[in-house]
Amino acid sequence: MDAILADRIQFAFTIAFHYLFPIGTMGLAPFVAAYTWKAARDGDEATARAAAFWTKIFAINFAVGVVTGIPMEFQFGTNWAGFSRASGAVVGQPLAMEGVFAFFLESIFLGALLYGARGRPSRFKAWSAVLVCVGAWLSGYFIVATDAWMQHPVGFAHGPHGTIELINIFAVLGSRWAVWQYFHTIVAAIVAGAFIVAGIGAYYVLAGRETALGGRFVTAGTIVAFVFSAAAAFPTGDLNADNVTRYQPAKLAAMEGLFKTTTGAPLAILGMPDTENQTLIDPIYVPGFLSYLAYGNFSAGVKGLDAFAREYWPPVGLTYYAYHVMVGLGTIFGGLSGIALIALLLKRLHRTRAILWALMLIVPFPYIANEAGWMVAEVGRQPWIVYGVMLTADAASPTVNGGETLFTTIGFAGMYCLLGILFLTLMLRTIGDGLARA
Amino acid sequence: MLESLGFGVVAFMLGVYVMLDGYDLGVALVSPLIARGDRERAAAMRSIGPFWNGNEVWLIAGAGALFALFPAAYATAFSGFYLPLVVVLWLLMFRGIALELRAQLDSPLWHDFWDAAFFLSSGLLIVLLGVALGNLIRGVPLDAAGYFQGTFAFLLNPYALLIAAFGLAALGQHGAAFAAMRIDGEPALRAARLMRGLWWAVLALYLLCGAATVVVRGVHLSVGAVAVPAVSLAALIWLRAASLRGRAPAAFAASSVFLAALLAEAARALYPYLIPAFPAGRGGLSIYDAAPSRTALEVALTVSIAGSAAALVYGSVVWRRMAAKIRVE
Repeated sequence: MDAILADRIQFAFTIAFHYLFPIGTMGLAPFVAAYTWKAARDGDEATARAAAFWTKIFAINFAVGVVTGIPMEFQFGTNWAGFSRASGAVVGQPLAMEGVFAFFLESIFLGALLYGARGRPSRFKAWSAVLVCVGAWLSGYFIVATDAWMQHPVGFAHGPHGTIELINIFAVLGSRWAVWQYFHTIVAAIVAGAFIVAGIGAYYVLAGRETALGGRFVTAGTIVAFVFSAAAAFPTGDLNADNVTRYQPAKLAAMEGLFKTTTGAPLAILGMPDTENQTLIDPIYVPGFLSYLAYGNFSAGVKGLDAFAREYWPPVGLTYYAYHVMVGLGTIFGGLSGIALIALLLKRLHRTRAILWALMLIVPFPYIANEAGWMVAEVGRQPWIVYGVMLTADAASPTVNGGETLFTTIGFAGMYCLLGILFLTLMLRTIGDGLARA
Repeated sequence: MLESLGFGVVAFMLGVYVMLDGYDLGVALVSPLIARGDRERAAAMRSIGPFWNGNEVWLIAGAGALFALFPAAYATAFSGFYLPLVVVLWLLMFRGIALELRAQLDSPLWHDFWDAAFFLSSGLLIVLLGVALGNLIRGVPLDAAGYFQGTFAFLLNPYALLIAAFGLAALGQHGAAFAAMRIDGEPALRAARLMRGLWWAVLALYLLCGAATVVVRGVHLSVGAVAVPAVSLAALIWLRAASLRGRAPAAFAASSVFLAALLAEAARALYPYLIPAFPAGRGGLSIYDAAPSRTALEVALTVSIAGSAAALVYGSVVWRRMAAKIRVE
């Protein structure tokens, strides 16, 4: 098997599986911190149970997130030695920072949070919960900053023998790509966390168990989901689109299925890209709207894929569909949480079974939206590993062949299958055991 | 100068990893001997429960620091040891889930399964890390571009296997010292007895490894070549004295100093090479070949020193908070 293809399949599979769990930890960490903090302050028994329950859910997510995260950092060296050797002076920095600044904080204080007496949490536990949240979010920042540099390389210079030298670390960490991609990422994770809280709460209310505490989860989850669904679109989604428009026009064209450079470009709501004939099949268009979104002007020209040499096109179909799945689901999240919020304001939410069912069943979809968003970012960046600087084809390890990588990929697949089953079993069991035993 | 400091930082972080994760790996290795029955084994797991993950981060953070400080060495070592390293990753993962998931269900079969998984993955991990360290000291066949491909036949040489055996004995002793200090009751007594027995094996393998290293690398007399082994030998004698007097915390401290001195010795032997060539004396990938520009080195040094210092501070805060002995319940 072609070594590059095998490496790409392995990285895509391991990162996509791994990322399911950071979504949960980054999204649930603020809820864990809030419930633990409130329970420590007020000492009321129900909040203490809520804190213990969400800590347990968080811990299961964290455990699987940690073990699936270990291979990620090592894969840069094992499978992508060419990339690591050339650009380690830059991408090594945020990854090293993640290790020493975020992982220690997260893992040491999670130990403090999980072990120790039950009942009303101590002040120390409350602080530990806050620091775990800080660690989880910091970890996200360093990873997004690493990716942002690969998307929009800044603060570097070309050194001898094809190496890339670091010039300014603050330019790397603080680039507008890093900042806006980070906010979009964390906001999207919080949307997922909020729907998990609302969805599990809805299950308890519908099942007629723990209706009081379940109702509190529904309320908290709904409010947070609404605010952050809105923030995922505007301003964070909008500003990411602005970055793509400015710095990666080929990705924009692939996301929108725009094959030909057009003035007054329409926005395709639906349609199937046909790369062979370079058209969108059965499109539903909003005229001029893509030009407006990209440049604030309904008649502005937008570059289509025809403006770029074919070998620099990203895979059009995957980028297009992933983008439309993300945006479509994001719209649904805003709509559902908006309806739930109105019901809440009318004091009907906890009695309206249809909305509770919808909140319960929506839980997997924020995961899909989060993953699809990353697919747009990473697949749309191809064929570059560092945009405009280094091709993915030049990045793999020269000493590792496709067969080896295929073998280890199958090993990872088996391992992750086991992990996935364990994760679901434990999550369902924890939810099924309910709040009394937490 | 900066390169040497970077070498020191990576060696320090990996050394802390061996001292800290070494005790939880060691507890896993000796728990079948010191903990009998479900409740005692649960106590052994709980003794390391709050700490193991933070300890393991020293490996992840050390690898991160290596990536930032010496990208070429990171790329060469990780791709060269490809298959063994992937197996290490699988073992780390298996061990992590064993630790985290054992207590999630209340069933003896579930516990037995994860206890066995924990023991096997920890033991194999020590062996693989020992083999890796042995091969680093012995050197690897680098090509002109600075890459190599580690085949199993090359990596599983007698020297590397000897180092792995030494690793099992030394970390088993370290884990027993930790268990004697942290757990209350029967398991602690058994751990103290085991530690006294293991000491002889550690001593024998220590002398054997010393002699084998001279064979593999030759003798280069210097102050360090005498002073560092003297420290490790003194620590080993201190460990004996402490364990005979039943002073578990002192024995654990002595074992930590012993491991630190061994790693310092390994680092001293490697310096200034990160990956020496095989056979010995043929140069290799040095810190000067592998380091990036000054700016990157300065950033990476600042980050890893500040971050390690911070981690040591809050690690010890949490450690003190959780210092109560673990009871079998």
